Amino acid sequence: MARSARLTAQALAVAVVAGLLVLLIWRVAHDDNTGVSQALDSGRHPTAPAFDLNRLDGRGRIDLATLRGKKPMVLDFWASWCVPCIQESKRLEAAQKRYGDQIAFIGVDTKDFSEDARRWQRKHGITYPSVHDGSGKVLAKWGGLPIPKIFFVARNGKVVGELVVEEDLTRYLRQIAAS
Amino acid sequence: MKRIALVCFAALLLVPIARASERHPSQAELEGEVMCPVCGTTLDQSSSPAAQQIKGVIAGRIAAGDTKTEIKDRLVAEYGDAILAAPPRHGFGLLAWWLPIGGIVVAAVIVGLGAWRWSRAREPAPRAVQPDPALERRLDDELRRFEG
Repeated sequence: MARSARLTAQALAVAVVAGLLVLLIWRVAHDDNTGVSQALDSGRHPTAPAFDLNRLDGRGRIDLATLRGKKPMVLDFWASWCVPCIQESKRLEAAQKRYGDQIAFIGVDTKDFSEDARRWQRKHGITYPSVHDGSGKVLAKWGGLPIPKIFFVARNGKVVGELVVEEDLTRYLRQIAAS
Repeated sequence: MKRIALVCFAALLLVPIARASERHPSQAELEGEVMCPVCGTTLDQSSSPAAQQIKGVIAGRIAAGDTKTEIKDRLVAEYGDAILAAPPRHGFGLLAWWLPIGGIVVAAVIVGLGAWRWSRAREPAPRAVQPDPALERRLDDELRRFEG
């Protein structure tokens, strides 16, 4: 009896250790820090990770997957507490006036308080629609902080590039508009 | 018994304090219980713009008379569960509360059982004493002589 109890306890301990090991391997395998930003850095052009989030203005949702194949996209990750985001969003607002009929401009307000975000949009005259990613889960898939982060997605859903220097904006806008 | 009564009394004393904290939360206590979404620390340890924004939201809600739960619920609705420094006491978050307690209980039981078995193993086994027949005979003789 004592022997079988000891064997059971040992088997249980081994099972617990094996379970923890599997959990560790699974976590490491799924946390490889390969957001879109990192993929672009390594020369790859991944398919834009889909999201389906509430619009900041309360007019329903935006499902990125439904836009794939229809229109190229510019994605702007921003927050009302992010000072450099003001300038970048204003540049995109100006670009939207020129390319708005060919390209969908979408903002992703991330890790932000939605009331402040709406106020920020009004204050800076940003009219392109934004979705609210309060938890930052979508941002994480695209490469995480820091923001602003601006991505250019071709009509086929592949991410063409990320805005790094000012000159990138016109170059990428022309590229995806022609896609 | 006296100790249990004392603990119960102390617990009863804490109830009104907890209720007051729920109805009228202070800025400082909420800043210690809410995370800054971009820095991985609680709000009271951060002065980042994102933390300042949430501090402003909390101050506004306190001024509006919201309870602690209402303020936290609002923040969770905006930022998700990760905005709270402590995991939620429901669903999967419960595991984080009960797992350490369960671990301590299981460890205490294992240590207790081990100590009990160890103490039993060290007890000297009672041995049947087999007196030496010669010694027994000598003892009888001595006793007889003493009595006689």
